[in-house]
Amino acid sequence: MKSSAGVWCAALGVIAAVAITAAAVAGGVSGHEGARAETAAKKITICLLPKKKGLPYFTTCAKGAEEAAKELGNVELIYDGPTDGSPEKAAGMVDRWALQKVDVIAVSPNDPEVLGQAMKKARQKGVHIITWDADAAPDAREFMVNQATGRDIGYALVDTMAKDIGGAEPEGEVAIITATLTAANQNEWIKHMKERLGKYPKLTLVAVKPSNEDQRLAFQVTQDLLKAHPKLKGIFGISSVAFPGAAEAVKQSGRSGAVLVTGLATPNDMKAYVHDGTVRSVVLWNTGDLGYLTVRAAAALASGTLKAGDHELDAGRLGTKKIEGDQILLGQILVFTKDNIDDFDF
Amino acid sequence: MKRVLGQRPAAVRDGGAGARAPARRSLMLAGILILVIGVVSAVNPAFASLRNLGDLLVQSAPVIIVGCGMTLVVLTGEIDISVGSLLGLLAALMGVFASPQHWGLPTAVVIGLTLAVGTGAGLLNGLLVTVGRVPSIIATLAMLTILRGVTEFIMGGRWITDLPPGIRALGTGGALGVPWCLWVAAAVVGVSVVIARRTPLGLRLYAVGGNAEAAGLARISTARVRIFAFMLLGLLTAVAALVAVPQQSVVESGIGVGFELVVVTAVVVGGTAIRGGTGGIAGTVLAALLLGSIRTALVFLNFGETATYWERGIQGGFILAAVLVDHLVAARQGSGGRFIGAAA
Amino acid sequence: MLHEGVIALLLILVMVLAAWLEPGFISVGAQLELSTHAFELALLALPMTFIIIAGGIDLSAGSTMALASVTLGLLHQAGTPLWLASAAAVSVGAAAGAVNGIFVSAVRIHPLIVTLATLAAYRGLAEGISLGRPVSGFPEGFQWIGAGTVLGVPVPVLVLIVAVMVAGVVLSRTVAGHWVYTIGGNELAARHCGVPVGRVQFGLYTLSGMAAGLAGVVFAARRNTAKADIGAGIELEVITAVVLGGVSIFGGRGTITGTVLGVALIHELRELVGWHWRRDELILIVIGVILVGSVLLNNLASRRRA
Repeated sequence: MKSSAGVWCAALGVIAAVAITAAAVAGGVSGHEGARAETAAKKITICLLPKKKGLPYFTTCAKGAEEAAKELGNVELIYDGPTDGSPEKAAGMVDRWALQKVDVIAVSPNDPEVLGQAMKKARQKGVHIITWDADAAPDAREFMVNQATGRDIGYALVDTMAKDIGGAEPEGEVAIITATLTAANQNEWIKHMKERLGKYPKLTLVAVKPSNEDQRLAFQVTQDLLKAHPKLKGIFGISSVAFPGAAEAVKQSGRSGAVLVTGLATPNDMKAYVHDGTVRSVVLWNTGDLGYLTVRAAAALASGTLKAGDHELDAGRLGTKKIEGDQILLGQILVFTKDNIDDFDF
Repeated sequence: MKRVLGQRPAAVRDGGAGARAPARRSLMLAGILILVIGVVSAVNPAFASLRNLGDLLVQSAPVIIVGCGMTLVVLTGEIDISVGSLLGLLAALMGVFASPQHWGLPTAVVIGLTLAVGTGAGLLNGLLVTVGRVPSIIATLAMLTILRGVTEFIMGGRWITDLPPGIRALGTGGALGVPWCLWVAAAVVGVSVVIARRTPLGLRLYAVGGNAEAAGLARISTARVRIFAFMLLGLLTAVAALVAVPQQSVVESGIGVGFELVVVTAVVVGGTAIRGGTGGIAGTVLAALLLGSIRTALVFLNFGETATYWERGIQGGFILAAVLVDHLVAARQGSGGRFIGAAA
Repeated sequence: MLHEGVIALLLILVMVLAAWLEPGFISVGAQLELSTHAFELALLALPMTFIIIAGGIDLSAGSTMALASVTLGLLHQAGTPLWLASAAAVSVGAAAGAVNGIFVSAVRIHPLIVTLATLAAYRGLAEGISLGRPVSGFPEGFQWIGAGTVLGVPVPVLVLIVAVMVAGVVLSRTVAGHWVYTIGGNELAARHCGVPVGRVQFGLYTLSGMAAGLAGVVFAARRNTAKADIGAGIELEVITAVVLGGVSIFGGRGTITGTVLGVALIHELRELVGWHWRRDELILIVIGVILVGSVLLNNLASRRRA
């Protein structure tokens, strides 16, 4: 009797697991079915690849991208990326989409080399490739939708920190909490941050620590840094996971305002810290606009209205956007502060 | 037959010298811990501050809480590598339950539901292992990927940033100046030690792990004991989620990635035999503290930027060294390979 | 044999489903191109099959891969000829495996514990010597190893076919293969029967390291980059594939055929879900369910027969 009851329990458990999965699959299917149903004559399929799926930063970009796709009407938008941020998996997706003969693949490369190889191969198959958010080698793509170069970001972060610390010659120790030690984008920014720190001789960088994309670890490392370096004036949290972790550690140590935290994140995730004074400035750009512009550019490229050598792009609600060389420029980096952060909702 | 790995219960592993192994391990770990704290404090006195030692405890609390449950599971000869993904799922569910933008349930209900889901996941693991006869490392490996995928679905690319104050208080509040997570960790350690040492159930845990066939002959329901251990581990993972996740303002989908490795490492370095039967809570707790202190110590020693790149290497080397030294000491004492249950 | 049958059936089902949903997916061209995605998984699964049959496990394969690729990159940067740098990288992989082997066979610490420690240590070593920086810019000739084709078949796949055949023959037709099963079946008995248990174990872990080293070199050639974070988490995928293929995690049972089927099933599932549903998180769920489902199904079937 007992063992048969056990078997039933197990069977129920398995059925529950299968049901959950089936529901998940059904959810996944229905999400795409709608997009597939409409068959226009000149349909353009655009794939939008984020560095890591599941980050609100990219989700908000995708929202803008969907908006553009809807406006254009003849665009089928596919948004997918590795949930663990693995560049190899992302490259695998580029390979698959190229085989499916989509029209344009817009890539935000988490590793320019690994993705670059796949992008070149896809180009050889006649698929249009552009980059957005981050760039790869020039011969791997046709255009880049550029919201900010690594240099712009690095400089903006350091300048923002210097301004927040204040004074004619900002002074004090600063530290960087990065994503992982091997993160290509972050390492690029750090290089330019160090370069820019040269302009502020009294700001000294005392540590660059990894948070391994773990908010809790960013929190702990910041706690450690605050104690190990009592003269610390500023902390850069340069991944969207490290930033809130670092801010929370400063807040809980009771040193909000005395130790300033800045970094890159979507404003909604940081509003509370900006209002309580732990964070004075959040550096970013309008992510929805970035996704929107990317899809606009991709569609123009596929339909032939955008060609190499063009100097302007009609970008719908964003007006006309300038193209410098192969860089389609989104515009200014935004700095969110107490005064303006509530005006943004993304 | 239901071992984690390996073929049979180690030929020689019973009473006698074996009972000394966990105690020796705990003593050694405590010694190293004191040594690390002493040396680092000599270089940078800030390390020995009460505040830092307190933070060290808080940082290790989730590993200690889940480690207690894991120790009991490993004692029965099983393993659960899904705890990291389960922690992530529970964090996401807790966020969805509590967030006013989603379900907005009262705090008590959120706590109850989270604990229930955690225990349920443990039950599912236990059933797969006992009734379904799936080796625990396989069953929980499957759960590791499934639960992570489900978590991504639930979060849908969004984070939860509006945990209500009642839930945040679980992570940031405390009593008598001590954060809740430490009270909870202390209680969990206490209860686990009592279960393992003072109850018939504890005896059964050791018996099932020591020799499942003999335990079967002695009419111990090995299945029930193991299901209990898995359920307890699931419950404790939920407890860890409740006190640790609200320490942060943001619930994201990547919480708990790699956490299972930290917990299993703490259990193993703590001297619990991977094949079950010997070991104990004290070793796990000390190992969790030691592993936590090494990472912090490297920040305080401040070797410079280059050294940052060697931190993971130093940690890995340290684990290897700890296991090796203990093994060699054990061999010299003539109880060779006891704690790790060396092959036959 | 039963388990292999179940997996083969599942594989056929997946392909039929694919043919129905996405005719383009099952074309030879697409399959050949996608096959390179499974290279690391398949190459590492071969030695893992041996190790698990012998009652062990190796969690450090992904980290060893990174260590080897970083070695290659740094030597290349320092001006070492690429063939020599590649040989050195494979040797470093073998040495890393040998260290695991010594701890398991001579010191006799449980392999799960040894490789859990070296999983962290080797990754850390790779990060330390490379300071987290990638090396790229390998010459065209070298990239051929990873990206070239012979008669339309990618070079890594050819390497793999040879490796599978060698592994299959060694495991099923040689004394060494027989020893592996004997050790996994009952180590104590194997020792009494005069099987050189220590030497076999040492050899297996060294081989595993060597395969990981080779995977690291091919990775560098394929992606034109050598860095310390490659192969993270691949060990769990490899174990999933091997177990899915019917190798008993307790040792003593399993075949190369099964492993190949397991790898193929995981690979095709992953590619198909990515191709059709385009939701990365779904892949995790599907693979997990298939893994636990296949073992459950097998248990159920064998219980009925018994």
